[in-house]
Amino acid sequence: MFRSALRGAMGAGFMAAAMASASAQVLEIGADLGPTGLDPHLITAFPSFMVVNGNIYEGLTSIDKDLKVVPGLAESWTVSPDGKTYTFKLRSSVKFHDGSALEAEDIVSTIKRVQSKDIASPLASRLSAIESANAVDPQTVELKLKEPSAPLLASLATIAVVPSSVETNKDALQKQPVGTGPFKFQEWQPNGFILLAKNEAYWQQGLPKLSGLKFNIVPESATRQVGLTNGQYALLPHIDAATALQLKGKPGIRLGETLDLAYALIGMNVSKPPFDNPKVREAVNYAVNRQEIVDAALFGAGVPGGPLSPALKSWALDVKEYPCYTPDPAKAQALLKESGVALPITVTMNVLPRQDIKDVAQVVQEQLNKVGFKVELKNQEQGQFIQDWRNSNFDMFASLNAGNADPDEYFYRTFRTGGSTNVFKYSDQEIDQLLDSARTQQDQAARKAAYDKVQRKLACSGPAVHVSYGTLFSAMRDKLQGYEVMPNRSLMSLGKAAY
Amino acid sequence: MNRALLSRLVDLVVVLFGVSIIVFLMIRLIPGDAVAIMLGANTEITPERMAELKSRVGLDRPMVEQYLLWAGAALRGDFGTSLWTGRPVSTEIMTHLWPTLELTFLSLLVGAVLAVPVGCLMAQTRGGAADVAMRVGAIAGLTIPSFWLGIVLILLLSSLAPSFASLGYVPFSEDPVGNLQRMLLPSLALALPILANLSRLVRSAMLDALGQDYIRTARAKGLAERQVVYKHALRNALIPFLTSVGIMTGYLLGGAIVVEQVFAIPGLGRLILGAIAERNYPVIQATILVVTAGFVIVNFLVDLLYILVDPRVRA
Repeated sequence: MFRSALRGAMGAGFMAAAMASASAQVLEIGADLGPTGLDPHLITAFPSFMVVNGNIYEGLTSIDKDLKVVPGLAESWTVSPDGKTYTFKLRSSVKFHDGSALEAEDIVSTIKRVQSKDIASPLASRLSAIESANAVDPQTVELKLKEPSAPLLASLATIAVVPSSVETNKDALQKQPVGTGPFKFQEWQPNGFILLAKNEAYWQQGLPKLSGLKFNIVPESATRQVGLTNGQYALLPHIDAATALQLKGKPGIRLGETLDLAYALIGMNVSKPPFDNPKVREAVNYAVNRQEIVDAALFGAGVPGGPLSPALKSWALDVKEYPCYTPDPAKAQALLKESGVALPITVTMNVLPRQDIKDVAQVVQEQLNKVGFKVELKNQEQGQFIQDWRNSNFDMFASLNAGNADPDEYFYRTFRTGGSTNVFKYSDQEIDQLLDSARTQQDQAARKAAYDKVQRKLACSGPAVHVSYGTLFSAMRDKLQGYEVMPNRSLMSLGKAAY
Repeated sequence: MNRALLSRLVDLVVVLFGVSIIVFLMIRLIPGDAVAIMLGANTEITPERMAELKSRVGLDRPMVEQYLLWAGAALRGDFGTSLWTGRPVSTEIMTHLWPTLELTFLSLLVGAVLAVPVGCLMAQTRGGAADVAMRVGAIAGLTIPSFWLGIVLILLLSSLAPSFASLGYVPFSEDPVGNLQRMLLPSLALALPILANLSRLVRSAMLDALGQDYIRTARAKGLAERQVVYKHALRNALIPFLTSVGIMTGYLLGGAIVVEQVFAIPGLGRLILGAIAERNYPVIQATILVVTAGFVIVNFLVDLLYILVDPRVRA
């Protein structure tokens, strides 16, 4: 009896599944974490960005899969000869999800909202160069800058444009996002799913092809894999190498991959011994065997990388240019001897709680211990790790950092004296000057030359050992067309995808 | 009866007060505060922005003041708003409560309902091959962790019936079949340890009861064996069983945290886990209070059940 009841239930299940696939093509996505908020100017976590950026909201500019700046809500722009005035021409047929038309006034209030102290947006610094924004006419916005800003166009791609009605409202967008993107918010069941519906009035003709996106929040990796295998989910975005290897070659499943903009790094506190000594930092770089780390901790899915991701093709130097990227334990030992620091050097390394980073830290520990360090790993809970990181309460740390489409965004805040995420307490006059000049430099070649110097100097004796850039995988059902994995983990290509 | 009720109520208040203080202190004593996590590691933060955010969510006040403000509002039924999403905490709890209640209810139902006949059967066939097999099964059921069992069940079902939707959650009111379909595996995963535990308990209680004089009398006056077992022995064996069911409910809430994680069910367990990781203080505080209250109330209901089962308690 039990068996026949079970069969009955299964039969009903088959029917339900068949009906679902016939009626609509809502793309079922299996995500490991849910968003913690939806206000595009307040969120800081990947799971929130993934849902919101590019799907619900768009910026004035946009970043394509090669990390180049392309037009977004602005169809074109001009820059004044002194680099201090930007004039944007908006697309004419853009409507917000609430039906109102996009006008220059919305851009102005978006910028004010991000800069407002009351909103306290963590994105504010990306717009710090903007002195004023004003609407010339409904389709034209003019931005006046305090000083020329080379990274501005790339930064604007990350600033979601919101309706002027929410300029001072701190709560509305957390619950009910209103953007211009290909999908509009429909329902959020915290810890369950978040459902986006097709924006019928989207400005790009014929898009989106999908009738919606459903982000199912499934914390357990094994469960997500089963869900993809049996077709309950059509896409698992941004999975790690271990999961990708397990799914590779399974019937009906395809992998997409790209080089990640995020990178594994070992940070060193230069405000105290032993890492205040550049020779010790250089020794660490010679002791670390990056290829071994990629093979052992990332299952070979990645490449050794310098201070900039190789995904930033127009900026990053080839790692062959850095002498310390050829592992040389003997040289490391010699450098330690020269430094005069007593051996063994006992240090603690805080480790970000992610499996790939834990694996990286273990390999690094072993490599460093061979040349005269005594590294103790400290596995921390996320909140504790961030707290210690922010307060520079560490000797060393192993972590994963998100990258940016423009070098300034990362370099300036991380390595400039007093930079807001310069938790290493690093201070170098030459680096400061180079970063300052590159930030306002209009000439692309001169800017590149400055960043080349920065990369060379940081690679071997900077406060961070840049270890590796992993391969970023997404696994999907064969039927999914048009989705591309992007180095910055944006899912914006879903606007063009079909299933 | 009334006095018993009253003393239970007093217990409840004392327990809730104690738990509220412990929870309030504990989550503030662990390092890493909400604001630091909220701002994450990859954004540009100045100390003044951090201070602004702190005052926005009220974390800049002294701890005693924070507690009094919170407790005062909670007494009036206002648990505050989630630090991250700005939603009322009571709404968050209500939406996460039903999946957990349903899961608890279903697994308790499966576990407890099956435990009685299985336990009786074990007692009746004591020493026989069937008894040994069931006892081995029960030990296995007790020792297999439910998250592992959950994953194995998912894998098994996905290879047997690939299109059987077993992951996630849909409310019963929206799609009863889909709901029960998705609840099947998690309920089984949670019910197995309960079944194992309770059936062992029923077995030993029954063995005790079956050795008593009144059973011999019942048999002597010519009652059928089934009547002897189910009418006379079982009723006496049920008292420790009921106590255990009460305690099991507490176990279930704990087990639900893990099983909800495996089956992607948006229940209280997921809410608590997420809230702890995010240091979402108002959500942690209120959710733990609700779970504690639930536990105390269930135990109270079990006490009431004693009265129904055992006439001696009624006097």
